[in-house]
Amino acid sequence: MPLLPLLAGVVGMLLPLSQRRLAFGLAVGALGASALISIGLLLGAVQAGGEAAPVVVNFTWLSFGGSALKLGFVLNPLTAVMIAMVSFVALLIFIFSHGYMHDDRAYARFFAFLSLFCAGMLGLCVANSLVLLFLAWEIVGVSSYLLIGFWHEKPSAAAAAKKAFLVTKLGDLGFLVGILWLYGQTGTQLLFDDGFGVLEDAQLQSLRAATGVFFGMNLAGVLALLIFCGAIGKSGQFPLHVWLPDAMEGPTPVSALIHAATMVAAGVFLVARTYPLFAADPMALDVVAWVGSFTALLAATIAVAQRDIKRILAYSTVSQLGFMMLGLAVGGVAVGMFHLITHAFFKALLFLGAGSVIHGSHHQQDIFKMGGLRGPMKTTFVTYLVGTAALAGVVPFAGFWSKDEILLSAWHQHAYGPFALTMVASFLTAFYMTRQVALVFFGANRNVDEHGHAHHAHESPLSMTAPLMILAVFAAGIGLVGTPWANLFGHFLEPRAEHAEANLGFMAVATVVALAGIGAGWALYGRLAPKSAGDDPLARVQPLYRWLEHRWYFDELYATTVVRLLRILAQLAELIDALLDLAVMAISGGLRALAQAFFWTDEHLVRPAARLLAAAARVGGGALSRLQTGRVQRSLSAVTFGATVLLGLLLLVMFAR
Amino acid sequence: MLLVDVGLLRAKEPASRAAWIGGLTVLGLVGVLALLGQHLAVTGDLYFMDRDRVLVIDRLAIVLRIIIVALALGASLLSIRYPFTKHYGEYFALLLFATVGLNLLVATENLLMFFVALELLSVCLYALTGMHRGVLRSAEGAVKYFMVGALSSAFLLFGLSWIVGSTGATDLPALRDALAGGGNALRLTGLVFVVVGLGFKLAAVPFHTWTPDAYQGAPTPVTAFIATASKVASFVVGAKILLVGFAGMAGSAHWPWRELSSGTFGAARIEPGWVLLLAVLAAASMIWGNLAALTQKNVKRMLAYSSIAHTGYLLLGVMAANQAGLTAVLAYLVAYAVTTLGAFGVVAALTRQLGGDDLEDLDGLARRAPGMALLLLVFVLSLAGIPPLAGFIAKFNLFAVAVRADAQELGLLWLVFVGLAGSAVSLYYYVLILKHALVHAPRRSDPVRVDTLWMVPLVVLAVLVVVIGAWPQPLLELFGALVEGAGLIR
Repeated sequence: MPLLPLLAGVVGMLLPLSQRRLAFGLAVGALGASALISIGLLLGAVQAGGEAAPVVVNFTWLSFGGSALKLGFVLNPLTAVMIAMVSFVALLIFIFSHGYMHDDRAYARFFAFLSLFCAGMLGLCVANSLVLLFLAWEIVGVSSYLLIGFWHEKPSAAAAAKKAFLVTKLGDLGFLVGILWLYGQTGTQLLFDDGFGVLEDAQLQSLRAATGVFFGMNLAGVLALLIFCGAIGKSGQFPLHVWLPDAMEGPTPVSALIHAATMVAAGVFLVARTYPLFAADPMALDVVAWVGSFTALLAATIAVAQRDIKRILAYSTVSQLGFMMLGLAVGGVAVGMFHLITHAFFKALLFLGAGSVIHGSHHQQDIFKMGGLRGPMKTTFVTYLVGTAALAGVVPFAGFWSKDEILLSAWHQHAYGPFALTMVASFLTAFYMTRQVALVFFGANRNVDEHGHAHHAHESPLSMTAPLMILAVFAAGIGLVGTPWANLFGHFLEPRAEHAEANLGFMAVATVVALAGIGAGWALYGRLAPKSAGDDPLARVQPLYRWLEHRWYFDELYATTVVRLLRILAQLAELIDALLDLAVMAISGGLRALAQAFFWTDEHLVRPAARLLAAAARVGGGALSRLQTGRVQRSLSAVTFGATVLLGLLLLVMFAR
Repeated sequence: MLLVDVGLLRAKEPASRAAWIGGLTVLGLVGVLALLGQHLAVTGDLYFMDRDRVLVIDRLAIVLRIIIVALALGASLLSIRYPFTKHYGEYFALLLFATVGLNLLVATENLLMFFVALELLSVCLYALTGMHRGVLRSAEGAVKYFMVGALSSAFLLFGLSWIVGSTGATDLPALRDALAGGGNALRLTGLVFVVVGLGFKLAAVPFHTWTPDAYQGAPTPVTAFIATASKVASFVVGAKILLVGFAGMAGSAHWPWRELSSGTFGAARIEPGWVLLLAVLAAASMIWGNLAALTQKNVKRMLAYSSIAHTGYLLLGVMAANQAGLTAVLAYLVAYAVTTLGAFGVVAALTRQLGGDDLEDLDGLARRAPGMALLLLVFVLSLAGIPPLAGFIAKFNLFAVAVRADAQELGLLWLVFVGLAGSAVSLYYYVLILKHALVHAPRRSDPVRVDTLWMVPLVVLAVLVVVIGAWPQPLLELFGALVEGAGLIR
């Protein structure tokens, strides 16, 4: 199934740019077929029930030295839910892109990249081997690099693409160490393998038995945290969250695809996939819970003070991913994944809605320069409202059910710290979404150019609004498959686990918090409808507002620490070279002094030699002087230096024993 | 070649002389390949061996010679259209002499022959490096290469004389038996000097100082030859000498992970021997090579530093000190050689039309020559170790072998960490090359035409990179069987 988009991507890249219709047809056709297959697989899995053993196909990829590296595919409820969601949401985004990217020169290439991205994404969902998962993971990374930097004429887009690639790679480093270590320890990197996979009891037991590896954690926990490093990078968790908002430089459908439904969710999915490793050590889960909840709060606070409509959504995504991580940590796979699925629908809806707004208001992205769009953009407005209600957690929209389950689980697990953080975060979520809706859709039109001419917004074409409407239906209703009264979703993913009972009091509290956020947002922005473009009532709260506006100064912090450190190290190499030069000069100076002494005492021997040397130097001098002979001496001294150090080291070690 | 050049072709135009001599060279190398293929078909594990093991032609040696001759063939193809000299006879003759040296190098298990072959190779390479007529950098690179090389050769010969003098053995198995009891101070000193000589050939820090200048100054086909064929042969012979001859003096630089993670430095198992020496060289090469590459502005110079870093990774496989380690090293060498030959091939094909080989000269390549930009993308991503290209699986295998060499205590994991951190840094400068080629606006807009003679070998190499990356099984199986068949390492 991932092969279809892969083929479409490869063929699409070879097509000339003028073959627009063919490129589009190919991409949508391939993904449509994938979507049909995966929905079929989901239905089959539902029929078989959550108790059925996972369907596993393994094969040997290569073998060396008596051990084999196997790859494989797995189909279990987790996979089935994920592939169905990914292919379905991606299909809608493809259709939306047709309208959005219609005027772009490289339209055909865009769809090739999108297909490639989906191939990687689906591949990583069905992989039954950590190496195959990592391969797909990297394909996703590379194609997102290409997509974010798609408008590479814009320097900021190219920079954002590079940043995304490098920052996520930093997380992948830990992930790769985890895979290598796991493979070295157990001799396998298959997830399920007839009882011998790393997620099955025999291996888990041996990993759990290796205790005290790192701060008293067992090996399973340490490996889980290394894998979590990859998830932190991909899912934009603190402290690697800095790439995600910058990645908004890509075309908006890309933002929707990468930042709502799929790529960022890949990190959450990875944790869900390898959950038995995390569950083997409570400390690993604690780390996930704290990282998740802190990220949720951090990103929510930053979102409050942003002005770019897509950036707000980006920080909101970071925040919601934090919720999912917390859900995994305190409630298990089903709780985290439920929020992932609901979020995928309503956040894709919001991003595409934002794309429609941007498209309709002449590529204006500053929410303080919009306003009053509820009139001209009725469909967009209504669907956006649905997405907002879902994100803010209003009963009975999708986000309410999934978020409520996370908070309830945190409470039951006595994780009061993370619970408090996310409670505040969900208040802020309702607040900043209301702020956004009020500024964009209500009040007067503030989208005026410097001459005072107002830009009049227009509704987007059907190929853009139709996906919005379909997504809106799901954003409103998908939560109903996981209500506490009939938790179909939870029983499907985790048939044996206990699921939280309905708790009406708790729901009431959550609703009050959400309504409080909405009320506060409306009170500040709904009636004020600031006339001039720079008026944010919150800006009066200084210096807090500036602190939030500058995103807690994380970029600046990294620029002054990590980046500078690397630069210093790189320059250190040059500095040491210079020092070596100095040493060489000192030595040659000493030698020269010695030669002087010889010259005075042994004039008659030295003089003829010197005359000979002088003659030689005259002949070769012209050429040699231009050859920077000093640096040759340095090279030679480096060799001697190295030999001396190595010899000294060996002899030292030998005699020290 | 020399006779043909001064005899038959004396009066011809330079271009036609280049075509004739280059064509003859290519034909000759193809003939050698055919002969080697025939040897491979008829032989069992051993084809020829004399009493002192001066020549040991087993299946492993034949396959390695095929690889080396193929790489020499690639370098010759790159040379034909590369206008850097009028001395075609001398140039191709030197290239062939160097190839002879390489062939001897991988097919000997005798220390004396090893030294002679190494000198034959090195002297030819010094001269080749300086063949870029009228380019001062070329002369500078050659002089530097020669001076550092001469000093290292002196070290090497000195060390060998100590070893041979104290054991009386010149062939590797005899040396292994003589050194079985471990080393004394005399033999350790000899070992250090041998490692210095090898370190120069492999371009390991701190014996790397010739690399940037020689790589940048040499005509690009020669750079490609030094970076691929010479590196492959040097690693093979170096690994053989250390793994077989000095098997009794391995020593250790293992640092059990459990102790490392709890911060007890004293628990490291530091024992005198070549593993310790290689650990120092490997760590220094991986760190230094990757950091120094960050600030480079010339593509060839940047690739030179990257090759130093790759040397560091490869040393990890040697340090594993088992058959799987040698297999991983060989597979990595093939993947690296194919990729590097391709990368330098792209640079060689473009230099004249782009006006240079600085990073800035690549600006806007994607628009001026989309095909070449795509090839560059494949090669650079493979160097960076991005799946599913050859560089990734080779590196993964190498690191996995290093981790598993001491699976109980994970003693080499600390070096794997250094290697992975280095790889992370290396991404930055690899992406920088791509950024110039794919993202930056071109300074001139006229399209760059590259003729078919260039394109065909480059496309073949790119396909190889993808195929090895996607289906590495045959390569690994082949080398696994060869290493086992050679029966050198227990």
